[in-house]
Amino acid sequence: MFVYEKKLQFPVKIANPNPKLAKIIISQVGGPDGELGASMRYLNQRYSMPYDELKGLLTDIGTEELGHMEMVAAIIHQLTRKMSTEEILRSGLDAYFVDHTAGVYPTAASGFPWSAASMAVKGDVLADLNEDLAAEQKARVTYDNILRLSDDPDVNQVIRYLREREIVHYQRFGEGLRLAMEKMDQKNLYAVNPSFDR
Amino acid sequence: MEKQCAAMERWRLGSLPDPAPLAAAYIPMQEGAEPRYVPQEALSRGTLFPGLDLPFLHVVNPDLEQTPMTEMMAIDFVADELELYLDTHPGDTEIFALYQTILAMQKEARDRMVRLCGPICQTDQLGMERYAWLEAPWPWEYRKRGEG
Ligand SMILES: [Fe+2]
Repeated sequence: MFVYEKKLQFPVKIANPNPKLAKIIISQVGGPDGELGASMRYLNQRYSMPYDELKGLLTDIGTEELGHMEMVAAIIHQLTRKMSTEEILRSGLDAYFVDHTAGVYPTAASGFPWSAASMAVKGDVLADLNEDLAAEQKARVTYDNILRLSDDPDVNQVIRYLREREIVHYQRFGEGLRLAMEKMDQKNLYAVNPSFDR
Repeated sequence: MEKQCAAMERWRLGSLPDPAPLAAAYIPMQEGAEPRYVPQEALSRGTLFPGLDLPFLHVVNPDLEQTPMTEMMAIDFVADELELYLDTHPGDTEIFALYQTILAMQKEARDRMVRLCGPICQTDQLGMERYAWLEAPWPWEYRKRGEG
């Protein structure tokens, strides 16, 4: 069960609309390493996790990622307010605008719509946690790249915050992996898949 | 400060079990939850823990404006961060005691925000005179600095 909290995890206050920036930042809503995919990855991996620490960790990080999706969506919403048709054409947001107007649609910056193909649920503790570690790194790099391309201080403040969260999540998934391995066969980690073989 | 640096160094380096298994990724456990930032600084930096604070091109966020909202966000954030820490360190009784303190502060900060700005959760409306859930602002709406 989920309950909505009418607040963001971190304030989003973008003083200057900028559709050109929205065009790239949308990738962290619906791109291959975006926040929608992150939350779906973790929340769906929970069911086959055999250990309580990992059920908790995936629940809590998956929930936080939903909050991050809302923050990135808030950035897009604020960057695209009060756009003139001339700005839409000049910024290159026209291709997005024709399909979605100033709505927030989960898509990659390339225009490829959000796809479950960009995430994995393998049903194996080691495979899933290694996927999660890689996912956190890829999200971190996407935020690095956004920081390279954006010079808006209001946007960058939020992006720096989100990027740092990926580093903390990486550490926690690494610790989760370590706790899992300690519970497994120390002589042969790959003897069984504890998510399936009991 | 020197003690802080030493503590940070220690868990930057971490420790590996002896011998660490082959064919497995190994990330050192964070050993202990000290040092820590104060809540407002933790929120603006995106982590409670200086040892995990690894900013891109070394650029750090400026301080956030202090409002009842950011004060509540900062306490909420420390709670979130401690929860993730406790998920992988469930036996750390010292941090669980700190978590208790934060939960008490969180309740205070939330009650204050609800009084000032209306419900954060639907259930915050217990005892209210009218249905206040629909009242603006919604979290994604643009509000100028100083407008909460
Ligand atoms: Fe993350």
